[in-house]
Order: sequence, then structure tokens, then C-alpha cells
Amino acid sequence: MKNWWKKLDRRTKLLLGLGVFMVVVVGSVFIPGGKKETFDAANEFMLTPIIKLPKIGPVNLSITKAVLYLWATVFIIIGIAIYVAHSLKREPSRFQTVLEGVYELAHDGICHSVMRVGAEAWFPYVGGAFVYVLILNFLGLVPLPVGEHGQLAFYAASGNLYITLTLALCTFLLSHYAGIKAKGGLGYIKSWVVKEAPPVMRQFIFITHVLGELFRVVSLSVRLFANMLAGHLLLAVLFAMALLFQSYLVAGVLSVGSVAILLFEVFIAAIQAFIFAILSAAYIGGAIDEEG
Amino acid sequence: MTDHAAALIAAGLCFGPGVIGSGAGLGILIGHAIDSMVRQPAMQNTVRTTMFIGIGIVEALALYAIVFGLIMLYVVKAPG
Repeated sequence: MKNWWKKLDRRTKLLLGLGVFMVVVVGSVFIPGGKKETFDAANEFMLTPIIKLPKIGPVNLSITKAVLYLWATVFIIIGIAIYVAHSLKREPSRFQTVLEGVYELAHDGICHSVMRVGAEAWFPYVGGAFVYVLILNFLGLVPLPVGEHGQLAFYAASGNLYITLTLALCTFLLSHYAGIKAKGGLGYIKSWVVKEAPPVMRQFIFITHVLGELFRVVSLSVRLFANMLAGHLLLAVLFAMALLFQSYLVAGVLSVGSVAILLFEVFIAAIQAFIFAILSAAYIGGAIDEEG
Repeated sequence: MTDHAAALIAAGLCFGPGVIGSGAGLGILIGHAIDSMVRQPAMQNTVRTTMFIGIGIVEALALYAIVFGLIMLYVVKAPG
């Protein structure tokens, strides 16, 4: 059984894997429960509580599929970390090489290339955010049984504004904490004033800076949210068109097209995680930096 | 014109022209990145990393337009 697999070269293996993936994705369209007369793409992102929990004030604590995705991400990261920590070798296996690459990217490519001061101190947060968003985005590209009737479906937890907003608020609060810790409360506020500017302009620049700080939260969260939402809506619309036309030919063509888009989404997911981490590092580094 | 029709037109106006600026920006960005990579092949890695970050940021602007268009589509419901 294992011999024929070993005989294949890497290219054939990759093509074979892609073929199996395509068959699974195309086949998942024809799983019963898919026949629909109407379709609303927005319903794919509706959160219905799986386990109902009481509300505390305005906060609804119910367990939805987004919460399950967040937990799954955490468990995947913990699992990978424990597995790798117990199987560290001087001659790394393939899995270890990949993870070393991710670590190096987060450490050198993100932290040290952006932050001039305090890169080592803030690496745990930035690297953690990178890996977390990365796995969260990738998990959204795996068909899991989270559909309405338990059928396979794509759902991106990062295509949910609450989650990305929480992550962006973490960065926002931590960047100000870092700035206040480095320069003291008053010194940090003073560092926002541009001394070279003429006195009339100083207040204006100060107000613009404060507004810019606030809009960082919006841009950081909406960027990630919009990217994941747009990609998944595109996929949902393609699948829905296949269902609405109710023709196997159209379904086949659209499914192949959606596989191409899915592959592009893998790229987008990685890039967005990278951008989130690098902007987090830039904001925190800018707050610490003397000239900031 | 009903509210729903107005919302549909607004969404269309949001989707289409909203992407124009982002597209032009992407063209300028990638063009200049290629330009500088050709001029200084030694800086290729740095330029590429910065280019990808720029792509993510510029591209997000088009997606803002799409999200606002979607909001217009789904906030103003069809009558009945």
C-alpha cells in the first residue's frame, strides 16, 4: 500500500492531492440538503446559537459556530505547540521545518524588521497574533460540517466583525500601554505633538493624530473582516449559482471556478494574517519609539 | 422610486466605481515595485515584502466599498 505512494514524485503527489480536494469540493455540492429555490448569501454568515446561554447585560454569551471556530483555533495551536516541543530534533523533520519558517517570518520578517525598540519584548504578542489570525483564516477554508443541516460548509470566523474588532482593540490598547510604559503618561501624549510645526498648526496636527489613532482600530478590523467576508461571499455565490441553476454542467463548471478562487483565498488568508501582524508591530513600535 | 430600488442603485454605484481607485492604486504600486526590483535586484526581498503589505492595504479599500455596498443591499430590505 505504501510502496506505490513512495514511488510518485512530488509533482504527481501535489496534483493528486489537488484532484482529491477538487473531487471533495465538487462532490460536496451534491450532498443532499443542497437543493434550494432561493438563496441569500448573507444567511451563510448568520450566527444562530448552538448552546443557548443567558445574557449578561448587553452581552450574549451563547455558543455559536464562530465561538467553536475560535476554540478550535486555540486547540490546534496548543496541539501543534505541544507536539513540536516534544519532537524537537537537530535535524528537523518537514513539519518542524515549516514551523521554523513561520517562527522566523514572525521573528525576523515581522518583529525585527518593523520595530526598532522592544522587538524582543513584544514578539510574543505579535507572533501570537500572526499565528492565531493565520490559523483562524486557514480554518475558514476547510469545509467543516457547520451548515444549516450539518452539511459541509465554509465559514470564516474572521469574516465576523466582532472577532476582528476584538483583535484590533487588543492591538490598540496594547500599543498605548506600551507607549505609556516607555515614556510615562504625559510624555506619551507629548510625543504626539510635532515640535517642528508652527504653533498654530500644532493643535491641528495633534487632533489629526488622535483621529488617526482611533481610525487605526477601524481600518485594522475592517480590513481583515472585509477580505475574509468578500472571499467567502464569492465562494457562497458561486456555490449558490450551481444550486439555483440545478444543472450538473453549470455546477461542474462553477465548482472548478470556485476551486481556483479557493486557492487564491489561501494566499489572501496568509497575506492578511501577515498584514495584521506587521501593522500591530508597527503601531506598537511607533508608540514606543522616541520619535514616534 | 422605492427605497429598495434606490438601495440597489446605490449598491451598484458602490461596487463598481469603488474598485476603480483601488485598481489604479494597485497598478501604480506593483509597477513601481517591479521598477525598483529591476533597478536594485539586491533589494528584491525587501521590496517584495513591502509590496505585498501595500497590496493588502490598497486592496482592502476596494473591499470596504464592497462591504458598504452589501450593507446597502441588506439593510434596506425588499418590500414584503
